[in-house]
Amino acid sequence: MPLSTDQSERYSRQTELQGWGALGQERLLGSRVFVAGAGGLGCPAAVYLTVAGVGEIVVCDGDVIERSNLNRQFLYTRDDLTKPKAPIAAAQLRRLNPDVKVTPVIAEIDRSSAQELIEGADLVLDCLDNPETRIALNRAAIARGIPMVYAAVAEYTGYLSFLNPPATPCLECFVDGTRPAVDPPVPGCTAGILGTLEAMEALKFLTGTGETLAGKLLIMEGAVPEFDVIEMEKDPGCPACRGL
Amino acid sequence: MIIYLRSGGKLKDRLKPDVDQYTRRIEVEGDKPLRDILNEVGVPDSLVAFAFINGKLERLEYRPVDGDVITLQPPVSGG
Ligand SMILES: [Zn+2]
Repeated sequence: MPLSTDQSERYSRQTELQGWGALGQERLLGSRVFVAGAGGLGCPAAVYLTVAGVGEIVVCDGDVIERSNLNRQFLYTRDDLTKPKAPIAAAQLRRLNPDVKVTPVIAEIDRSSAQELIEGADLVLDCLDNPETRIALNRAAIARGIPMVYAAVAEYTGYLSFLNPPATPCLECFVDGTRPAVDPPVPGCTAGILGTLEAMEALKFLTGTGETLAGKLLIMEGAVPEFDVIEMEKDPGCPACRGL
Repeated sequence: MIIYLRSGGKLKDRLKPDVDQYTRRIEVEGDKPLRDILNEVGVPDSLVAFAFINGKLERLEYRPVDGDVITLQPPVSGG
């Protein structure tokens, strides 16, 4: 659908970007993104997708808001403690942009639920906080043929990649899913940067502008500080994407 | 041969840097995989998620050559 006058003005600072234009914005408004996890990564990622005008954002999280979330999960306040994250996040996001349909889903992502949850999405954002759930999401994204943006953080360190097997490695080509889940220290800014970079990968992919991190891993070592982009190769013995 | 191991994050303390804040110089006897070298210098390979050299990811089976600067990154899974 062509942009309205209001939309043309609202999105003008991004449609001016070379290659984006009204057409890219219309594509974005017709897209559906599944945000897996509404925590430290999911909050900034969902905010930037919302204000950019992604047509539908599914925010999926099975957790409730805890006091220790508030240093980085800025869609929540003290008044929201003990409430489920997904609907609170969705309500905040809707206030930012009425063009966007925000669908909250209160659900745990696991091997049995993941495929159904991500059905119909153009892109999946991994904003999760443990290896096991990430692996379940990876398997579902491969089964559905949906690309996935991966990010993970701890302390001042962050990792980011754009996964679209068989063209690129999948998550299990380079992440060991058997490692135990830990709750590392995470300053809000670390999660904020990586969540924002996830949104950037999504916007590039959905509008066809720029170049994604397909086949590459971005490593942020904020303590140094240093950013590296390294080339990734598929693991020929990968249990998830071998033989695709 | 001499190789250099580097880490800026969580592995830094394990690595005991001596060249600068992040880098340790290691003298390696013979030809051996990175995994063995790491274990010998007190960095268990279970604490290393990625090792990269000149912008390319290498597996821990990689056998370093003289002068390699190898950056080590820990497993990270928070969100
Ligand atoms: Zn794979």
